[in-house]
Amino acid sequence: MPQMGVSVAEGTVAEWRKQPGDRVEADEPICVISTDKIDTDVPAPASGVLVEILVPEGETVDVGTVLARIEVEGSEALGVGRWALEDGTDAKPNGGKRYSPVVARMAAQHDLDLEAIKGTGRQGRVTKKDVLAFLEHADEAPMHIESPYRPEPEPQSPTPKAQSPKPGALSRMRRSIGEHMKRSLETAATCTTWIEADMSRIEAGREQLGLTALPLVARCAIAALREHPQLNAWLEGEAYTVHDAVHLGIAVSLGDEGLIVPVIHDAQELSAEGLGRRIKDAAKRARSGELRPDEVRGGTFTITNPGQYGSIMATPVINQPQVAILDLEAVVKRPVVIDDAIAIRPMTIFGLSWDHRALDGVLAAQFLASLRRHVEAWDGG
Amino acid sequence: MPTMTYLQAISDGLREEMRDDERVFCMGEDIGVFGGAFKVTDGFIDEFGPDRVMDTPLAESGIVGTAVGAAVVGLRPVCEMQFSDFISCGFDQLVNVAGKMHYRQGLAVPITVRLPTGGGFSGGPFHSQNPEAWFMHSPGIKIVAPATPEDAKGLLISAIRDPNPVLFCEHKHLYRRIKGDVEAGVYATPMRARVARDGDDLVVITYGAMVHTALEATEELEGVRVLDLRSLVPLDEEAILDSVRACAKVVVVDEANELCAAGAQVAALIAERGFEDLDGPVVRVATPNVPIPFSPPLEQAVLPSVDRIKEACVELLAY
Repeated sequence: MPQMGVSVAEGTVAEWRKQPGDRVEADEPICVISTDKIDTDVPAPASGVLVEILVPEGETVDVGTVLARIEVEGSEALGVGRWALEDGTDAKPNGGKRYSPVVARMAAQHDLDLEAIKGTGRQGRVTKKDVLAFLEHADEAPMHIESPYRPEPEPQSPTPKAQSPKPGALSRMRRSIGEHMKRSLETAATCTTWIEADMSRIEAGREQLGLTALPLVARCAIAALREHPQLNAWLEGEAYTVHDAVHLGIAVSLGDEGLIVPVIHDAQELSAEGLGRRIKDAAKRARSGELRPDEVRGGTFTITNPGQYGSIMATPVINQPQVAILDLEAVVKRPVVIDDAIAIRPMTIFGLSWDHRALDGVLAAQFLASLRRHVEAWDGG
Repeated sequence: MPTMTYLQAISDGLREEMRDDERVFCMGEDIGVFGGAFKVTDGFIDEFGPDRVMDTPLAESGIVGTAVGAAVVGLRPVCEMQFSDFISCGFDQLVNVAGKMHYRQGLAVPITVRLPTGGGFSGGPFHSQNPEAWFMHSPGIKIVAPATPEDAKGLLISAIRDPNPVLFCEHKHLYRRIKGDVEAGVYATPMRARVARDGDDLVVITYGAMVHTALEATEELEGVRVLDLRSLVPLDEEAILDSVRACAKVVVVDEANELCAAGAQVAALIAERGFEDLDGPVVRVATPNVPIPFSPPLEQAVLPSVDRIKEACVELLAY
C-alpha cells in the first residue's frame, strides 16, 4: 500500500486491474486504491508477471502492507526476493512441488504422503510446522465415525495377577505380517461378501479321496476363477493385471509364530488329489522352515482356512497385490430348507474379501455363486 | 549487583584482573596519562603505575611484537588498538608470529588484543570496520565478541587467562549505549554461544552489536530465537546446530562486510551439518562489500538495520 498522501495511513483496494498470471509493465496501473478522499491508480513498480494478490478487493490495509507480488525476469521477484518458486508448468518431480530438507526427512521418517498435507507456506509450500501439525493430529480418528459408546472399565481384580505381563519385542515374522496386513488395509478398498453352501457332496468326495475339504474347495475355487478371471489378478497402483494361470496361495498357520502363504504355481493343472498332495507338502515344509523363497511368491489368489476351531465367518485381509481372498471356515450341520422340506445338511459360509478398487460387489457375488455351484455339484473334480 | 555500561564493564574486568594477577599489564596508544581514546583505562596509571599501563608509540606492529615477547617470558599483556582498523599495521606480528608461535616453537603466547570495532556513528572507512573475519581465517588466534556488559567483563577475563592469542572485539557503538548488571569481582565467561531470546520458529544468529539490533528487529515477531555467538573462534558449532534443529529457519546477521564474514562460516556449517533440519534457505543480512561510508545516511544504508533484519525474518517466516 503506497503512501497516498502525508496524512493517509491506510487505503482500500477498490479494484484489481490485473489478475495473477497477467503480464504487467512497469508503471502500468495494476490496481485502484481508494482512500477516504479519492481513488488512485497504483502503478506497477516493475515489469514482470503478477504472481500473487495478497490483499483482495474491498479490504483496507495500512500503508506499507504488501499488496501483490510481481515476478520479474530472471526469477527475482519483488517481495518474494530470492525464493520465487517457478510455476508448475515444467515437468518436475513431485508434480512441481519442492520440499525442504527437514520436511523431506520427516516425511521419510514417518512414512507420510506430503501430497495429503495442506501447506501454509509461500505458494502453498508444506512447512515443517505443517508436518508437525499433521503428525499431532494423525492419531486422532475423524469425528464422524466416533461412537459415543465407551467400553466398560475392566473390573479391578481383587487379587494381584498371578503373572505380571512381560513386555517383549515382536518377532521378525510378526512384524512382517503386521506390516503386510496394515499396508493391505491402507492400500485396498476391502469389502467382504459371504455365501452359504451345502457341503454334502464335498464331504462325501473328501471321504472317498481321503483328503480334507480344502483341496476340493480349492479345485472348485479354481474352476470359479476360470469363469471370473478378473478375480485372479493383481492391482499395483493403477496397473491391473489379469492372470491366465492360477497361482494359488494357501495360508498355513505356524502356530504361535505366525502365518505363511506358500504358493502352488499353475494350480489349474492339478486335480483335487494333486492339490491335496501339494498343499500337504507345502504346509509340512512351511512348518519346518524349508520353503524356498520363490515358493511364497507370485500368488494370484489366496485361500485361508482357519475353520478347524469352529468359527464360521471372518473378514480376511487381501494378500497384496492380489484383489481377492477366499475364506473357508467350519462345516456345520444345519437344518436347511430343500424343496419346501427341512433337511439336515453340512453347511459352510464362504467369505470373499475383495478390493473395491478393482471390481464391484456384483462380480464378487457372481464368483461366490459360481463357487457354490461347483461345490454343490462336486462329482470328483 | 552493580549496573554498568559496556565500557565500564570492560574497564572493570581489566582492573579486577590486573588487581588479581600482577603478570597482567596493558599497552597502547594514549592509554596511560590520557586514559585511552575511549577512556577504558581512565585512572589506571594512577592505580597501577606506568610500568603496568604503558603508553606506546603509534606503531601497532611494535605493540603486538612487544606483547608477544612479554607473553613468551611469562607476562599477560593486554594491548589496546585505538581502533580495530589499525590492527592491519600489526598484522604480521599477530598472524605470523603470535598465531604460529605455539605451532613452530611450542611456546604459549597468552596475549589479549582489545579491538574497538564497528560503525554506526559516522566514523568513516578507517574507524568503523569489523575485521574479525581476517583473523578467523588465520589459525592460532581466538576471537571473542561480547554483546552485553556482563559478557564484556567475563570474556575479557577469559581472554586474558587463555594461553592463546585472543582478539577481544569490543563494539564502540555499545560503549555508552548499553547498560546492564555486572557481577562484582572476577569471573570468567566461557567462549560459547548463549541464547539471548528463546523461540522455536526461526533463529537469528549473530554477535556483538548486531545482537541488540536483532533483538529489537524481532521484538514483535513470535517465536524468533536470537543466538548470540559471543565467540567466533572457537565457534560454538553445537549451539548453532541445536538452534537449527529447533527452529529450522535461519537468518545470519553480520555487521561486517558480507563476503567471507563470520556469518558465511556459520551458513557453511549449517549447509554441511544442519541440512536435513532446514525448512528454508539460510538468509544472510550483512554489510555489502563496500567501505563504510562517512556520510551518516549512506552509512545507515549499508549497515544491517532493524528494518532489514525484520524484513528478512518476516519473509523467511512466511516461506
